[in-house]
Amino acid sequence: MTNRPKRYALAIDAKKCIDCKACVVACRAENGVPLGKSRNWINEELRGDWPRLMEVFEPEQCHHCEEPACVRVCPTGASYKRSDGVVAINPSECVGCRYCMIACPYDARFFREDLGVVEKCDLCARRLDRGELPACVETCPSKVRIFGDLNDPTSEIHQILEKRQYRVKKREAGTGPNIYYLL
Amino acid sequence: MKTIEWQYLIVSYLFLGGLSAGLFFVSALTEVFRNGDSPKEEIARVGALLAPWPVMIGCTLLVFDLGHWYRFYKLFLHFRWESPMSIGSWLLLFFIGVSVLYAYGWIPSSVRKAIFAKLPTRLRFLQILNRDVSSWRRALAIAGLPMSVGVAIYTGVLLGAVQSRPFWNTNLVAQLFLFSALSGGCALLILVLGASSRKFEMHEFQSLYLLDVSFLTLEFFIVVPYFIHGELSVEAVRQSLRLVLGGPFTILFWVFFMGLGLLLPWAIEVYEALPLLLRHAQFVPRVDTATVAAPGAAVSILADTGEQAPSRKLHFSRGWAAAAAVLVLMGGVLVRYIFVFAGQMSTIQ
Amino acid sequence: MNRRGFLKLATGGAVGATLLQAEACRKPLRQQNVAKDTSARVEIPTTCDMCVNKCSLIAVVQGGVVKKLNPNPENPKSRGMLCARGNAGIQQLYDPARIKHPMIRTGERGEGKWKVVSWDEALDFTAQKLSAVREKYGPQGTLWSSSESFQEQFFRNLGQAFGSPNSVRHPTLCLASVNLAYSLTFGTVPTFDVQNARYIIMSGANRLESFITPDTMDLVDSTTDRRARLVYLDPRFTKTAAKADEWYPIRPGTDLAFILAMLNVIIGENRYDKEFVSTYCSGFEQLAEHVKQYTPDWAAAETQISSRDILRIAREFSDAAPRAIYYAGRRSSWYRDDFSMRRGQAILNAIVGNWDRQGGMVPNAKVELGELMFLPWDDPTAARVDELDKNFPLAAKGDGVYLRLRENVIAGQPYPVKGWMVYKQDPVSGIPDQEKTLQMLRQMDFVGVIDIQMSDTAWYADVILPESTYLERLDPLEMLGGIRPVVLYRQPVIKPLYDTKPLLEIVQGLAKRLNLSQYFDYTMEQWIGEQVKALPMDLPLEYMKKHGVYSPPQFPKYGTTLIPDHRFVTKSGKIELFSQRLQEAGYDPLPVYHAPTQVPPGQFRLVLGRHAFFTHASTTNYPWLNSFLPENTLWIHPRPADSLGIKDSDRVEVASGSGSIRIKARVTPKIRPDCVFMQHGFGKRSPWLRLANSGGSDAQLLETAWDKVSGGAAMHETFVKVRKA
Repeated sequence: MTNRPKRYALAIDAKKCIDCKACVVACRAENGVPLGKSRNWINEELRGDWPRLMEVFEPEQCHHCEEPACVRVCPTGASYKRSDGVVAINPSECVGCRYCMIACPYDARFFREDLGVVEKCDLCARRLDRGELPACVETCPSKVRIFGDLNDPTSEIHQILEKRQYRVKKREAGTGPNIYYLL
Repeated sequence: MKTIEWQYLIVSYLFLGGLSAGLFFVSALTEVFRNGDSPKEEIARVGALLAPWPVMIGCTLLVFDLGHWYRFYKLFLHFRWESPMSIGSWLLLFFIGVSVLYAYGWIPSSVRKAIFAKLPTRLRFLQILNRDVSSWRRALAIAGLPMSVGVAIYTGVLLGAVQSRPFWNTNLVAQLFLFSALSGGCALLILVLGASSRKFEMHEFQSLYLLDVSFLTLEFFIVVPYFIHGELSVEAVRQSLRLVLGGPFTILFWVFFMGLGLLLPWAIEVYEALPLLLRHAQFVPRVDTATVAAPGAAVSILADTGEQAPSRKLHFSRGWAAAAAVLVLMGGVLVRYIFVFAGQMSTIQ
Repeated sequence: MNRRGFLKLATGGAVGATLLQAEACRKPLRQQNVAKDTSARVEIPTTCDMCVNKCSLIAVVQGGVVKKLNPNPENPKSRGMLCARGNAGIQQLYDPARIKHPMIRTGERGEGKWKVVSWDEALDFTAQKLSAVREKYGPQGTLWSSSESFQEQFFRNLGQAFGSPNSVRHPTLCLASVNLAYSLTFGTVPTFDVQNARYIIMSGANRLESFITPDTMDLVDSTTDRRARLVYLDPRFTKTAAKADEWYPIRPGTDLAFILAMLNVIIGENRYDKEFVSTYCSGFEQLAEHVKQYTPDWAAAETQISSRDILRIAREFSDAAPRAIYYAGRRSSWYRDDFSMRRGQAILNAIVGNWDRQGGMVPNAKVELGELMFLPWDDPTAARVDELDKNFPLAAKGDGVYLRLRENVIAGQPYPVKGWMVYKQDPVSGIPDQEKTLQMLRQMDFVGVIDIQMSDTAWYADVILPESTYLERLDPLEMLGGIRPVVLYRQPVIKPLYDTKPLLEIVQGLAKRLNLSQYFDYTMEQWIGEQVKALPMDLPLEYMKKHGVYSPPQFPKYGTTLIPDHRFVTKSGKIELFSQRLQEAGYDPLPVYHAPTQVPPGQFRLVLGRHAFFTHASTTNYPWLNSFLPENTLWIHPRPADSLGIKDSDRVEVASGSGSIRIKARVTPKIRPDCVFMQHGFGKRSPWLRLANSGGSDAQLLETAWDKVSGGAAMHETFVKVRKA
């Protein structure tokens, strides 16, 4: 646990993901992400040979790490971690050096040539401030995503991570990611 | 979404920054340990006058690589010691300041006065800068030495501090870039000095060649453990090394960088400098008590003993010098190019 | 201050000012993306129209602009979600390729020359043209084709009031065979209680991919939480296959063999629900006798699924009954014998007794709505041009049989049809055998299209009457029957952006000019006003405006029909395993297996399917959705691709008896080696649908074929040759 007041995190039950792209479109609509870039994406993997085939789908976006590499390397402090755990970017402070993009183990950030700044998933911070869920979480048909405050023992995400096994991606990077993939 | 964000502008800056650092380092070192040796003054002067320019060009390129170039000043509103880029920005600021001032201290008085005499009346207020700062040279050299090392090293720390790029994430990258920068400085000096119309003797270049060979040797012995340790390290690192061991950068790295950019110039320089090294390494001469040794007499004593001097002449070969220097500089560009691009292509699987 | 000081200040000021100005230049761009809109933010509930599932949504509107569409958690059918298409509804609203004004063609059909006209002029023109056709050929000389919407009934009513019997609708290209099969068996088409089922067999019906319904969500839940077992048959490895417990790349067209073998095992081993069968079903003895010949070994040879697996599945299925379902599917426009297969399914479901039980099939519950009384018109006197009584006596009359109809109209038999009104449909893209559709179109004296975008059919029309999109419209309440019936409300979230009208107003405009006003003399508000009267709450209209959906709490209810003496709406009053009506109409009363046509050597069977981010041919032009598949591809297995020298992304030429196309190949192991697949909705002709012009159109390849009993299009009966282009 951390000593921040909140620790927003995502638990993803990738077994349920059917790659319907609802989360990608909802995010694009909510955040005005231009085509060609995306704040979230679905990793697909096809395994096996005909006719023994298997396919898995795994949604991903910024992991809002506990010790974000992107925040560490930012020379102006434009990238910062909020008190609720969201890793956010202050676009007016960003100079567009893109060091953070290189530092991110998950390639979650992208550059907005039209704005000259870096952008990424911010867990729909504006929606959070209104008491709503991030757009991707709310819209998902198969309810793949569980979102909440990990510091709150009554939250769904806290309880599910107590009950089920999970893994995180690229643990070796040592950034302490906050997307938990349920096994 | 993987993209290669840092491309040719960054590669150029890393090279140019390192080059300035190297030039300053050699110049400052030479100045500090000169003891009035006049060929060395030439080295120090040329080094000092050249040093500020590459880094200033590099920084201009850097600023224009930013998404918002006119926001570059924001880098100087913050100091974040965990961010290599933040540290680097401040280092660059101070280094450029010191190296400009240091260079200014090497402009001959007459030249300086002549320039200021030609100032139009509107710019007369700039006369305030018409000062002799040559007395500050030594102090500036000493002050600037650690800064130049800092500038050279931090270009490697910039890459090495990124834990998500296994190709980079080793402390050896900083050392590699440091010695590559220093040897680049030597090489440029060899090139520039050698190109001047004056006739030179080999021993005037002796220190430069020695330095360069040392730096190249150190570079070599950094690359070797980089690979040995890399191959013995975690899967992510081993995977990333595939980029230069069979992957797209293989030939570029081994043939063009290691071969042409490091080993070949090293060999040329050793070949050129060896006779001189051997000459100086000749042992206690048979002393003729009548002609007791004075400093610098070793050469003549040898000659007197009639021993065969090495058959090679000791004049400075411009051709070989230029070749070696250009190869080293090319190697400097290449190693940074390879690292910047391959590094961004590597990832933790 | 002296001059020196002033110069220093000025320079410093100039530099500072430049930096600030450069910063300011960025502002307009940034403001576009960072909504600093301070106007009030309103949330308005309404109903989605991007596909037929009709989910409830809440539109976020700020400053007169629809910013985002969020799910409405109050609708149990949409379960608080909004899929990719639903979210992309904003792009339908703000589509630059929308038709913004009524337009009349000035050049030749298909030339794309239009003049923008007023509504009066457009409606005058349309009415005048329709009248002219009626003058010459009688009202039956007009064809009224439409796809479902909450307002579709007004269009159909106009056609009928006009006097034409010739209505044709989407089911004939989609679910005609499955609906007919279940109707003839059970008297109604039930809904499958996927949420509570424990064993589910699906033939195609790629529910995890083709579109998002409650079944999608229930299926995901059940299978991933290991509550239900999913057996999935499909020549393609779809996303449903990826999540299924067992997937069999069944030989296309042999699903009935699989089902008959299951019946053979279940009846032969006495695994059926005897009590249920004896109480509620008729014709069991004939059935039992009939299926004796269809052994698992026989079926294994047909389906290419091992008899051991067939045996095991049959046993597991019956063990899990009554929470075992053979999922009927929706788009059943597959084979000429499709109806028989669906009948087989219905019979299988019946004998394991899953009817009206939790985890089985439940007859749809309804919510009664009030009805506005309006003047009835005389029914059209002429017979339908597709001669349903003669050719397809059991087919749904109002829906028609499109492919038969087209044949007749082209031939001018039994009478000429020269006027065509199209609503919310794109026959040129949507019907197999595009050349024939275009031929039919060219023969028309008049083609009028009511649509929101310049579809391929609109491109060839004489007049286009633009409808307002669902986000701009007030629609009648719609009741969706099912296990949990709902009543949906659709209200406009913004004023119409362009000079468009809701369908009712277009119909009324035409009716006035055709002297049919008396049948349409009500407003939408009046219509809805009558509908809400039947709802139980006080102030029902306010309730619907506020919530967007009403879901009566007393559902689900199981077993309402499982009472002795319950009369099913069939001839015998029972669930007809043996169908008397079929026999009387001259069809097989019990499903008889006919092997599908063999794939000719060197050719492939073309199979179709859907993606979760496109709705047929109508959404491929929306950039947010198109970005997932900018161009459709031909899926081909690596083995035949190799022997044809085709590599992934090569351009190939695909040819059938109907036409040929060029398309990019996708070499993938996800499809049977004897089949190829392509996504619908590409290769469009209309230049306004620029993004959808890429790829190839399946309509150009598909040959005319239909299911024998229902007349539904048979879209998997086309064989194609493929070669590298």
